Amino acid sequence: MPILSVSDLKVRYSTSGPEILKGISFDVEPDDFFAIIGPSGAGKSTLIRCINRLVKPTSGKIMLYGDDVLRLGARELRRVRRSTGMIFQEFNLVNRMSVMDNVLSGRLGHVGNLRALFRQFSRQDIARALSVLDRVGLSDHVDKRADELSGGQRQRVGIARALMQDPKLLLLDEPTSSLDPKISREVMALIVEIAKEYRVPVLCNIHDVKLAMEFCNKMIGLQDGVKMFDGPTSAMNEGKLNDIYAMEVL
Amino acid sequence: MTAVPHMDQRLDAFLAGRRRGKTTRTLIYLVIALLVIWSVKTTIVDDTDWERLGSVSDVLASIGNFLAIDWGLMPDLWQPALETIMVATLGTVLGVISCIPAIWFGALNISPFPPITYPIARLMMTLSRSIHEIVWALFFVAAVGLGALAGVLAIAVRSIGFIAKMSAEAIEDLDPRPVEAIRAVGGNEFQVFIYAILPQVLPVMVGVIIFEWEINIRRSSVLGLVGAGGLGLVFFRQLNTFNEGGVTAVILAILLLILFGELVSYFVRKAII
Ligand SMILES: Nc1ncnc2c1ncn2[C@@H]1O[C@H](COP(=O)(O)OP(=O)(O)O)[C@@H](O)[C@H]1O
Ligand SMILES: [Mg+2]
Repeated sequence: MPILSVSDLKVRYSTSGPEILKGISFDVEPDDFFAIIGPSGAGKSTLIRCINRLVKPTSGKIMLYGDDVLRLGARELRRVRRSTGMIFQEFNLVNRMSVMDNVLSGRLGHVGNLRALFRQFSRQDIARALSVLDRVGLSDHVDKRADELSGGQRQRVGIARALMQDPKLLLLDEPTSSLDPKISREVMALIVEIAKEYRVPVLCNIHDVKLAMEFCNKMIGLQDGVKMFDGPTSAMNEGKLNDIYAMEVL
Repeated sequence: MTAVPHMDQRLDAFLAGRRRGKTTRTLIYLVIALLVIWSVKTTIVDDTDWERLGSVSDVLASIGNFLAIDWGLMPDLWQPALETIMVATLGTVLGVISCIPAIWFGALNISPFPPITYPIARLMMTLSRSIHEIVWALFFVAAVGLGALAGVLAIAVRSIGFIAKMSAEAIEDLDPRPVEAIRAVGGNEFQVFIYAILPQVLPVMVGVIIFEWEINIRRSSVLGLVGAGGLGLVFFRQLNTFNEGGVTAVILAILLLILFGELVSYFVRKAII
Protein backbone atom coordinates (compact mmCIF):
# COMPACT_ATOMS: atom_id res chain seq x y z
CA MET A 1 0.00 0.00 0.00
CA PRO A 2 1.35 3.45 -0.78
CA ILE A 3 2.31 5.74 2.14
CA LEU A 4 0.86 8.70 0.29
CA SER A 5 -1.73 8.71 -2.41
CA VAL A 6 -2.76 11.95 -4.10
CA SER A 7 -5.63 12.06 -6.53
CA ASP A 8 -6.95 14.80 -8.79
CA LEU A 9 -5.50 17.56 -6.62
CA LYS A 10 -6.54 21.06 -7.63
CA VAL A 11 -5.46 24.31 -6.03
CA ARG A 12 -6.42 27.95 -6.40
CA TYR A 13 -5.07 30.53 -3.97
CA SER A 14 -8.20 32.63 -4.41
CA THR A 15 -11.57 31.87 -5.94
CA SER A 16 -10.99 34.21 -8.85
CA GLY A 17 -7.27 33.43 -9.20
CA PRO A 18 -5.62 31.07 -11.66
CA GLU A 19 -5.63 27.32 -11.10
CA ILE A 20 -2.12 26.53 -9.84
CA LEU A 21 -2.45 22.73 -9.73
CA LYS A 22 -4.74 21.27 -12.37
CA GLY A 23 -5.59 17.79 -11.17
CA ILE A 24 -2.44 16.04 -9.96
CA SER A 25 -2.39 12.34 -9.02
CA PHE A 26 0.48 10.15 -7.86
CA ASP A 27 1.47 7.55 -5.24
CA VAL A 28 4.50 7.38 -2.98
CA GLU A 29 5.63 3.89 -1.93
CA PRO A 30 7.59 3.13 1.28
CA ASP A 31 10.99 2.96 -0.43
CA ASP A 32 10.61 5.88 -2.83
CA PHE A 33 12.91 8.87 -3.03
CA PHE A 34 10.76 11.03 -5.23
CA ALA A 35 11.95 14.16 -7.00
CA ILE A 36 9.45 16.74 -8.16
CA ILE A 37 11.07 18.70 -10.94
CA GLY A 38 9.84 21.50 -13.13
CA PRO A 39 10.45 25.13 -13.94
CA SER A 40 10.02 27.79 -11.32
CA GLY A 41 6.34 28.68 -10.89
CA ALA A 42 5.20 25.20 -12.01
CA GLY A 43 3.54 24.57 -8.63
CA LYS A 44 6.12 22.34 -6.93
CA SER A 45 6.02 24.17 -3.60
CA THR A 46 2.25 24.38 -3.71
CA LEU A 47 2.02 20.63 -4.27
CA ILE A 48 4.34 19.71 -1.42
CA ARG A 49 2.66 22.14 0.97
CA CYS A 50 -0.73 20.59 0.27
CA ILE A 51 0.44 17.24 1.62
CA ASN A 52 0.59 18.53 5.23
CA ARG A 53 -2.05 21.14 4.49
CA LEU A 54 0.08 24.23 4.90
CA VAL A 55 -1.87 25.08 1.76
CA LYS A 56 -5.52 24.06 1.58
CA PRO A 57 -6.38 22.53 -1.79
CA THR A 58 -9.57 23.45 -3.62
CA SER A 59 -10.46 19.84 -4.39
CA GLY A 60 -9.04 16.36 -4.71
CA LYS A 61 -7.99 13.74 -2.22
CA ILE A 62 -4.82 13.14 -0.19
CA MET A 63 -4.51 9.84 1.66
CA LEU A 64 -1.54 9.90 4.04
CA TYR A 65 -0.85 6.96 6.38
CA GLY A 66 -4.45 5.93 5.75
CA ASP A 67 -5.85 9.34 6.84
CA ASP A 68 -7.88 11.52 4.51
CA VAL A 69 -5.84 14.68 5.10
CA LEU A 70 -8.34 17.13 3.68
CA ARG A 71 -11.10 15.96 6.02
CA LEU A 72 -9.14 16.02 9.28
CA GLY A 73 -10.02 18.27 12.21
CA ALA A 74 -7.35 20.47 13.78
CA ARG A 75 -6.27 17.89 16.36
CA GLU A 76 -5.99 14.99 13.88
CA LEU A 77 -4.21 17.25 11.42
CA ARG A 78 -1.57 17.96 14.07
CA ARG A 79 -1.22 14.21 14.64
CA VAL A 80 -0.56 13.67 10.93
CA ARG A 81 1.81 16.62 10.79
CA ARG A 82 3.89 15.38 13.68
CA SER A 83 4.71 12.20 11.71
CA THR A 84 5.60 14.18 8.61
CA GLY A 85 8.98 15.86 8.54
CA MET A 86 9.42 18.98 6.47
CA ILE A 87 12.67 20.55 5.34
CA PHE A 88 12.55 24.05 3.87
CA GLN A 89 14.57 25.92 1.30
CA GLU A 90 15.35 28.68 3.78
CA PHE A 91 15.68 26.31 6.76
CA ASN A 92 12.92 28.11 8.76
CA LEU A 93 14.83 27.94 12.03
CA VAL A 94 14.18 30.16 15.02
CA ASN A 95 17.36 32.21 14.78
CA ARG A 96 17.44 33.40 18.36
CA MET A 97 17.20 29.88 19.76
CA SER A 98 20.02 27.41 20.22
CA VAL A 99 20.64 24.56 17.80
CA MET A 100 19.47 22.16 20.52
CA ASP A 101 16.19 24.01 21.11
CA ASN A 102 15.54 24.17 17.38
CA VAL A 103 16.09 20.44 17.07
CA LEU A 104 13.94 19.70 20.12
CA SER A 105 11.13 21.77 18.63
CA GLY A 106 10.69 18.82 16.27
CA ARG A 107 9.14 16.99 19.25
CA LEU A 108 6.52 19.68 19.94
CA GLY A 109 3.78 17.56 18.42
CA HIS A 110 4.35 15.09 21.26
CA VAL A 111 4.69 17.57 24.13
CA GLY A 112 2.05 19.31 26.26
CA ASN A 113 1.75 23.09 26.47
CA LEU A 114 3.22 23.36 29.97
CA ARG A 115 6.30 21.33 29.08
CA ALA A 116 6.66 23.31 25.87
CA LEU A 117 6.44 26.58 27.79
CA PHE A 118 9.30 25.64 30.11
CA ARG A 119 11.19 23.69 27.45
CA GLN A 120 10.97 20.56 29.59
CA PHE A 121 11.74 17.78 27.16
CA SER A 122 12.14 14.20 28.34
CA ARG A 123 15.51 12.47 28.78
CA GLN A 124 14.78 10.30 25.74
CA ASP A 125 14.01 13.33 23.61
CA ILE A 126 17.26 15.01 24.58
CA ALA A 127 19.20 11.80 24.03
CA ARG A 128 17.58 11.45 20.63
CA ALA A 129 18.41 15.07 19.78
CA LEU A 130 22.07 14.50 20.66
CA SER A 131 22.29 11.37 18.54
CA VAL A 132 20.52 13.00 15.60
CA LEU A 133 22.88 15.99 15.87
CA ASP A 134 25.80 13.55 15.82
CA ARG A 135 24.37 11.96 12.72
CA VAL A 136 24.15 15.23 10.79
CA GLY A 137 27.63 16.22 11.96
CA LEU A 138 26.75 19.03 14.33
CA SER A 139 27.89 17.59 17.66
CA ASP A 140 30.21 20.56 18.18
CA HIS A 141 27.49 23.16 17.67
CA VAL A 142 24.78 21.99 20.07
CA ASP A 143 24.70 25.14 22.21
CA LYS A 144 25.31 27.70 19.50
CA ARG A 145 22.57 30.00 18.36
CA ALA A 146 21.07 28.97 15.02
CA ASP A 147 22.10 32.23 13.37
CA GLU A 148 25.76 31.60 14.18
CA LEU A 149 25.89 28.69 11.73
CA SER A 150 26.67 28.62 8.01
CA GLY A 151 23.94 27.83 5.47
CA GLY A 152 24.91 24.18 5.13
CA GLN A 153 25.01 23.78 8.90
CA ARG A 154 21.61 25.43 9.28
CA GLN A 155 20.09 23.02 6.81
CA ARG A 156 21.61 20.20 8.86
CA VAL A 157 19.73 21.60 11.84
CA GLY A 158 16.61 21.54 9.68
CA ILE A 159 17.25 17.90 8.84
CA ALA A 160 17.85 17.06 12.51
CA ARG A 161 14.60 18.78 13.50
CA ALA A 162 12.69 16.69 10.96
CA LEU A 163 14.38 13.49 12.18
CA MET A 164 13.31 14.27 15.75
CA GLN A 165 9.76 13.74 14.60
CA ASP A 166 10.51 10.10 13.81
CA PRO A 167 8.83 10.85 10.49
CA LYS A 168 6.98 8.38 8.30
CA LEU A 169 7.44 10.69 5.31
CA LEU A 170 9.82 13.55 4.56
CA LEU A 171 8.65 16.56 2.55
CA LEU A 172 11.52 18.61 1.15
CA ASP A 173 10.98 21.94 -0.56
CA GLU A 174 14.14 22.73 -2.51
CA PRO A 175 16.39 21.85 0.43
CA THR A 176 19.57 22.87 -1.37
CA SER A 177 18.53 25.92 -3.35
CA SER A 178 19.92 28.36 -0.79
CA LEU A 179 23.29 26.60 -0.71
CA ASP A 180 26.30 26.76 -2.99
CA PRO A 181 26.85 23.82 -5.39
CA LYS A 182 29.43 21.94 -3.33
CA ILE A 183 27.43 22.17 -0.09
CA SER A 184 24.27 21.30 -2.04
CA ARG A 185 25.68 17.94 -3.07
CA GLU A 186 26.89 17.19 0.46
CA VAL A 187 23.50 18.01 1.96
CA MET A 188 21.66 16.06 -0.73
CA ALA A 189 23.91 13.03 -0.20
CA LEU A 190 23.31 13.24 3.54
CA ILE A 191 19.55 13.32 3.03
CA VAL A 192 19.70 10.25 0.78
CA GLU A 193 21.79 8.31 3.31
CA ILE A 194 19.53 9.29 6.17
CA ALA A 195 16.39 8.37 4.25
CA LYS A 196 17.86 4.88 3.77
CA GLU A 197 18.99 4.53 7.38
CA TYR A 198 15.69 5.68 8.86
CA ARG A 199 13.70 3.93 6.10
CA VAL A 200 11.71 7.07 5.31
CA PRO A 201 10.21 7.76 1.90
CA VAL A 202 10.96 11.21 0.57
CA LEU A 203 9.13 13.67 -1.62
CA CYS A 204 11.57 16.32 -2.71
CA ASN A 205 11.07 19.47 -4.76
CA ILE A 206 14.18 20.18 -6.68
CA HIS A 207 14.95 22.70 -9.35
CA ASP A 208 18.34 21.29 -10.28
CA VAL A 209 17.68 18.39 -12.68
CA LYS A 210 21.23 17.08 -12.40
CA LEU A 211 20.93 16.66 -8.66
CA ALA A 212 17.54 15.01 -9.10
CA MET A 213 18.83 12.52 -11.69
CA GLU A 214 21.76 11.62 -9.47
CA PHE A 215 20.04 11.20 -6.12
CA CYS A 216 16.41 10.27 -6.68
CA ASN A 217 14.96 6.98 -7.88
CA LYS A 218 11.59 8.33 -9.03
CA MET A 219 10.48 11.56 -10.60
CA ILE A 220 7.45 13.69 -11.18
CA GLY A 221 7.72 16.36 -13.84
CA LEU A 222 5.44 19.38 -13.34
CA GLN A 223 4.75 22.08 -15.85
CA ASP A 224 2.32 24.88 -15.17
CA GLY A 225 0.29 22.78 -12.71
CA VAL A 226 0.11 19.71 -14.94
CA LYS A 227 1.94 16.42 -14.39
CA MET A 228 4.11 15.74 -17.46
CA PHE A 229 6.07 12.74 -16.20
CA ASP A 230 5.78 10.17 -13.42
CA GLY A 231 8.13 7.21 -13.27
CA PRO A 232 11.56 5.87 -12.36
CA THR A 233 14.50 8.18 -12.96
CA SER A 234 15.86 5.64 -15.45
CA ALA A 235 12.87 6.32 -17.71
CA MET A 236 13.63 10.05 -17.87
CA ASN A 237 15.41 11.27 -20.95
CA GLU A 238 16.51 14.41 -22.73
CA GLY A 239 13.35 14.71 -24.83
CA LYS A 240 11.01 14.47 -21.85
CA LEU A 241 13.10 16.95 -19.90
CA ASN A 242 12.89 19.38 -22.79
CA ASP A 243 9.12 19.02 -22.75
CA ILE A 244 8.92 19.77 -19.03
CA TYR A 245 11.20 22.76 -19.25
CA ALA A 246 9.87 23.94 -22.61
CA MET A 247 8.17 27.00 -21.14
CA GLU A 248 11.33 28.06 -19.37
CA VAL A 249 13.40 27.90 -22.54
CA LEU A 250 10.97 30.27 -24.24
CA MET B 1 24.47 85.17 -29.36
CA THR B 2 21.14 83.43 -29.07
CA ALA B 3 21.84 82.13 -25.60
CA VAL B 4 21.74 85.59 -24.00
CA PRO B 5 18.04 86.50 -24.43
CA HIS B 6 17.22 82.93 -23.51
CA MET B 7 19.25 83.31 -20.34
CA ASP B 8 17.53 86.62 -19.56
CA GLN B 9 14.14 85.00 -19.77
CA ARG B 10 15.14 82.22 -17.47
CA LEU B 11 16.62 84.68 -15.01
CA ASP B 12 13.43 86.76 -14.99
CA ALA B 13 11.27 83.71 -14.48
CA PHE B 14 13.49 82.55 -11.65
CA LEU B 15 13.48 85.95 -9.92
CA ALA B 16 9.72 86.23 -10.28
CA GLY B 17 9.37 82.83 -8.66
CA ARG B 18 11.59 83.97 -5.80
CA ARG B 19 9.57 87.14 -5.26
CA ARG B 20 6.40 85.10 -5.13
CA GLY B 21 8.00 82.78 -2.62
CA LYS B 22 9.07 85.78 -0.54
CA THR B 23 5.56 87.26 -0.44
CA THR B 24 4.06 83.95 0.63
CA ARG B 25 6.66 83.54 3.34
CA THR B 26 6.11 87.08 4.63
CA LEU B 27 2.39 86.38 4.81
CA ILE B 28 2.95 83.16 6.73
CA TYR B 29 5.23 84.94 9.24
CA LEU B 30 2.63 87.66 9.67
CA VAL B 31 -0.13 85.15 10.41
CA ILE B 32 2.07 83.32 12.92
CA ALA B 33 2.97 86.58 14.66
CA LEU B 34 -0.70 87.57 14.89
CA LEU B 35 -1.58 84.16 16.31
CA VAL B 36 1.11 84.47 18.98
CA ILE B 37 0.04 87.98 19.95
CA TRP B 38 -3.59 86.90 20.16
CA SER B 39 -2.73 83.85 22.34
CA VAL B 40 -0.57 85.94 24.69
CA LYS B 41 -3.35 88.48 25.01
CA THR B 42 -6.16 86.03 25.76
CA THR B 43 -4.28 83.54 27.92
CA ILE B 44 -1.78 85.69 29.81
CA VAL B 45 -2.72 89.37 29.67
CA ASP B 46 -6.45 88.92 30.23
CA ASP B 47 -6.20 85.85 32.43
CA THR B 48 -3.62 86.91 34.99
CA ASP B 49 -4.61 88.69 38.18
CA TRP B 50 -2.12 91.56 37.79
CA GLU B 51 -3.10 93.09 41.15
CA ARG B 52 -1.81 90.02 42.98
CA LEU B 53 1.47 89.86 41.11
CA GLY B 54 3.90 91.50 43.48
CA SER B 55 6.84 93.77 42.82
CA VAL B 56 10.14 92.47 41.52
CA SER B 57 11.45 92.22 45.04
CA ASP B 58 8.44 90.13 46.07
CA VAL B 59 9.07 87.70 43.25
CA LEU B 60 12.74 87.45 44.20
CA ALA B 61 11.83 86.86 47.82
CA SER B 62 9.46 84.12 46.81
CA ILE B 63 12.16 82.45 44.73
CA GLY B 64 14.46 82.78 47.75
CA ASN B 65 11.95 80.90 49.87
CA PHE B 66 12.00 78.00 47.42
CA LEU B 67 15.79 77.96 47.33
CA ALA B 68 16.03 77.56 51.09
CA ILE B 69 15.84 73.82 50.71
CA ASP B 70 14.38 72.03 53.70
CA TRP B 71 17.03 69.31 54.07
CA GLY B 72 15.40 68.16 57.26
CA LEU B 73 12.61 66.69 55.16
CA MET B 74 14.92 64.36 53.25
CA PRO B 75 14.90 61.41 55.72
CA ASP B 76 11.10 61.44 55.59
CA LEU B 77 11.16 61.09 51.81
CA TRP B 78 12.58 57.54 51.68
CA GLN B 79 9.27 55.93 52.38
CA PRO B 80 7.24 57.88 49.78
CA ALA B 81 10.05 57.55 47.22
CA LEU B 82 9.97 53.80 47.68
CA GLU B 83 6.22 53.89 47.33
CA THR B 84 6.55 55.83 44.08
CA ILE B 85 8.91 53.20 42.66
CA MET B 86 6.60 50.41 43.82
CA VAL B 87 3.60 52.07 42.20
CA ALA B 88 5.56 52.47 38.94
CA THR B 89 6.81 48.87 39.03
CA LEU B 90 3.55 47.20 40.02
CA GLY B 91 1.71 49.40 37.54
CA THR B 92 4.08 48.36 34.78
CA VAL B 93 3.76 44.66 35.65
CA LEU B 94 -0.03 44.88 35.76
CA GLY B 95 0.05 46.88 32.53
CA VAL B 96 2.11 44.19 30.80
CA ILE B 97 -0.32 41.50 31.91
CA SER B 98 -3.36 43.48 30.80
CA CYS B 99 -1.61 44.16 27.50
CA ILE B 100 -1.79 40.55 26.37
CA PRO B 101 -5.29 40.67 24.87
CA ALA B 102 -4.56 44.02 23.22
CA ILE B 103 -1.40 42.59 21.64
CA TRP B 104 -3.11 39.39 20.57
CA PHE B 105 -6.09 41.21 19.06
CA GLY B 106 -4.03 44.09 17.72
CA ALA B 107 -1.48 42.27 15.56
CA LEU B 108 -3.21 41.66 12.24
CA ASN B 109 -1.36 38.43 11.51
CA ILE B 110 -2.48 36.70 14.74
CA SER B 111 -5.70 38.58 15.54
CA PRO B 112 -8.37 35.83 15.96
CA PHE B 113 -11.12 37.60 14.02
CA PRO B 114 -9.69 40.85 12.62
CA PRO B 115 -12.92 42.62 11.57
CA ILE B 116 -14.01 42.69 15.22
CA THR B 117 -10.95 41.98 17.37
CA TYR B 118 -8.59 44.41 15.64
CA PRO B 119 -10.76 47.53 16.23
CA ILE B 120 -11.25 46.45 19.86
CA ALA B 121 -7.49 46.34 20.35
CA ARG B 122 -6.95 49.66 18.62
CA LEU B 123 -9.64 51.24 20.81
CA MET B 124 -7.95 49.90 23.97
CA MET B 125 -4.62 51.32 22.85
CA THR B 126 -6.00 54.73 21.94
CA LEU B 127 -8.08 55.02 25.09
CA SER B 128 -5.10 54.13 27.24
CA ARG B 129 -2.83 56.68 25.62
CA SER B 130 -5.13 59.59 24.95
CA ILE B 131 -6.29 59.98 28.55
CA HIS B 132 -3.77 61.60 30.88
CA GLU B 133 -2.45 59.57 33.82
CA ILE B 134 -3.80 62.20 36.23
CA VAL B 135 -7.25 61.74 34.76
CA TRP B 136 -6.94 57.95 34.99
CA ALA B 137 -5.83 58.39 38.62
CA LEU B 138 -8.81 60.63 39.42
CA PHE B 139 -11.03 57.96 37.93
CA PHE B 140 -9.48 55.16 39.99
CA VAL B 141 -9.40 57.28 43.18
CA ALA B 142 -13.14 57.65 42.71
CA ALA B 143 -13.44 53.90 42.09
CA VAL B 144 -11.16 52.36 44.76
CA GLY B 145 -10.49 55.30 47.07
CA LEU B 146 -7.35 57.29 47.95
CA GLY B 147 -4.04 55.49 48.07
CA ALA B 148 -1.40 53.62 46.14
CA LEU B 149 -3.82 51.11 44.61
CA ALA B 150 -5.48 53.84 42.56
CA GLY B 151 -1.99 54.90 41.42
CA VAL B 152 -1.05 51.35 40.41
CA LEU B 153 -4.24 50.95 38.41
CA ALA B 154 -3.83 54.32 36.71
CA ILE B 155 -0.23 53.51 35.72
CA ALA B 156 -1.24 50.05 34.49
CA VAL B 157 -4.02 51.32 32.27
CA ARG B 158 -1.91 54.20 31.01
CA SER B 159 0.89 51.73 30.08
CA ILE B 160 -1.22 49.42 27.93
CA GLY B 161 -1.29 51.65 24.88
CA PHE B 162 2.38 52.06 24.17
CA ILE B 163 3.52 48.55 25.12
CA ALA B 164 0.68 46.94 23.16
CA LYS B 165 1.22 49.10 20.10
CA MET B 166 4.95 48.47 19.89
CA SER B 167 4.59 44.74 20.60
CA ALA B 168 1.77 44.26 18.10
CA GLU B 169 3.83 46.02 15.46
CA ALA B 170 6.82 43.79 16.24
CA ILE B 171 4.60 40.74 15.82
CA GLU B 172 3.27 42.03 12.51
CA ASP B 173 6.84 42.40 11.26
CA LEU B 174 8.05 38.97 12.29
CA ASP B 175 9.58 36.35 10.05
CA PRO B 176 6.75 33.92 9.16
CA ARG B 177 9.06 31.03 8.25
CA PRO B 178 9.67 29.65 11.77
CA VAL B 179 5.92 29.92 12.39
CA GLU B 180 5.34 27.69 9.42
CA ALA B 181 8.00 25.24 10.59
CA ILE B 182 6.43 24.84 14.04
CA ARG B 183 3.01 24.30 12.43
CA ALA B 184 4.57 21.67 10.18
CA VAL B 185 5.95 19.62 13.10
CA GLY B 186 2.42 19.46 14.52
CA GLY B 187 2.69 22.27 17.07
CA ASN B 188 -0.54 23.89 18.26
CA GLU B 189 -1.15 27.64 18.22
CA PHE B 190 0.16 28.10 21.76
CA GLN B 191 3.37 26.28 20.89
CA VAL B 192 3.69 28.32 17.72
CA PHE B 193 3.46 31.42 19.88
CA ILE B 194 6.02 30.23 22.45
CA TYR B 195 8.53 28.82 19.95
CA ALA B 196 8.21 30.86 16.80
CA ILE B 197 6.75 34.23 17.77
CA LEU B 198 7.96 35.04 21.28
CA PRO B 199 11.68 34.50 20.63
CA GLN B 200 11.47 36.93 17.74
CA VAL B 201 9.67 39.73 19.58
CA LEU B 202 11.02 39.31 23.11
CA PRO B 203 13.99 41.69 22.71
CA VAL B 204 11.76 44.45 21.39
CA MET B 205 9.16 43.86 24.10
CA VAL B 206 11.66 43.88 26.95
CA GLY B 207 13.13 47.13 25.65
CA VAL B 208 9.69 48.71 25.40
CA ILE B 209 8.67 47.52 28.87
CA ILE B 210 11.83 48.89 30.50
CA PHE B 211 11.30 52.19 28.71
CA GLU B 212 7.70 52.32 29.89
CA TRP B 213 8.80 51.55 33.47
CA GLU B 214 11.17 54.48 33.37
CA ILE B 215 8.39 56.79 32.20
CA ASN B 216 6.09 55.32 34.83
CA ILE B 217 8.44 56.47 37.60
CA ARG B 218 7.95 59.99 36.27
CA ARG B 219 4.19 59.49 36.15
CA SER B 220 3.82 57.92 39.57
CA SER B 221 5.83 60.72 41.20
CA VAL B 222 3.08 63.19 40.40
CA LEU B 223 0.08 60.93 40.96
CA GLY B 224 0.08 61.86 44.66
CA LEU B 225 -1.34 65.21 43.60
CA VAL B 226 -4.69 63.51 43.26
CA GLY B 227 -4.29 61.38 46.35
CA ALA B 228 -2.76 58.30 44.77
CA GLY B 229 0.21 58.05 47.17
CA GLY B 230 3.97 58.46 46.82
CA LEU B 231 6.16 61.54 46.55
CA GLY B 232 3.40 63.53 44.88
CA LEU B 233 1.36 63.40 48.05
CA VAL B 234 4.23 64.84 50.10
CA PHE B 235 4.74 67.48 47.46
CA PHE B 236 1.11 68.46 47.73
CA ARG B 237 1.29 68.65 51.53
CA GLN B 238 4.39 70.87 51.46
CA LEU B 239 2.68 73.17 48.99
CA ASN B 240 -0.46 73.35 51.13
CA THR B 241 1.49 74.22 54.28
CA PHE B 242 3.45 76.90 52.39
CA ASN B 243 6.74 75.14 53.13
CA GLU B 244 8.50 76.25 49.95
CA GLY B 245 11.84 74.76 51.02
CA GLY B 246 10.05 71.43 51.45
CA VAL B 247 8.56 71.66 47.97
CA THR B 248 12.03 72.07 46.51
CA ALA B 249 13.28 69.13 48.58
CA VAL B 250 10.56 66.92 47.11
CA ILE B 251 11.34 68.13 43.60
CA LEU B 252 14.98 67.21 44.17
CA ALA B 253 13.97 63.77 45.38
CA ILE B 254 11.81 63.26 42.31
CA LEU B 255 14.71 64.33 40.12
CA LEU B 256 16.99 61.80 41.78
CA LEU B 257 14.38 59.08 41.40
CA ILE B 258 13.98 59.78 37.70
CA LEU B 259 17.73 59.77 37.25
CA PHE B 260 17.80 56.40 39.00
CA GLY B 261 15.11 55.08 36.64
CA GLU B 262 17.01 56.29 33.62
CA LEU B 263 20.21 54.65 34.80
CA VAL B 264 18.55 51.30 35.47
CA SER B 265 16.76 51.47 32.13
CA TYR B 266 19.99 52.29 30.32
CA PHE B 267 21.94 49.40 31.80
CA VAL B 268 19.18 46.83 31.49
CA ARG B 269 18.62 47.69 27.86
CA LYS B 270 22.33 47.60 27.18
CA ALA B 271 22.47 44.16 28.75
CA ILE B 272 19.71 42.66 26.61
CA ILE B 273 20.54 44.20 23.24
N1 LIG C 1 0.53 32.14 -1.24
C1 LIG C 1 0.27 32.30 -2.56
N2 LIG C 1 -0.73 33.12 -2.95
C2 LIG C 1 -1.00 33.31 -4.27
N3 LIG C 1 -0.30 32.75 -5.25
C3 LIG C 1 0.70 31.92 -4.94
C4 LIG C 1 1.05 31.67 -3.58
N4 LIG C 1 2.10 30.82 -3.54
C5 LIG C 1 2.39 30.56 -4.84
N5 LIG C 1 1.57 31.21 -5.68
C6 LIG C 1 1.58 31.14 -7.16
O1 LIG C 1 1.46 29.80 -7.52
C7 LIG C 1 2.29 29.49 -8.63
C8 LIG C 1 3.16 28.30 -8.30
O2 LIG C 1 4.04 28.66 -7.27
P1 LIG C 1 4.95 27.59 -6.54
O3 LIG C 1 4.12 26.48 -6.06
O4 LIG C 1 5.75 28.32 -5.52
O5 LIG C 1 5.88 27.10 -7.72
P2 LIG C 1 7.33 26.46 -7.69
O6 LIG C 1 7.61 26.00 -6.31
O7 LIG C 1 7.27 25.35 -8.69
O8 LIG C 1 8.27 27.52 -8.12
C9 LIG C 1 3.08 30.76 -8.93
O9 LIG C 1 2.48 31.38 -10.04
C10 LIG C 1 2.92 31.58 -7.70
O10 LIG C 1 2.90 32.94 -8.02
MG1 LIG D 1 9.10 26.58 -4.93
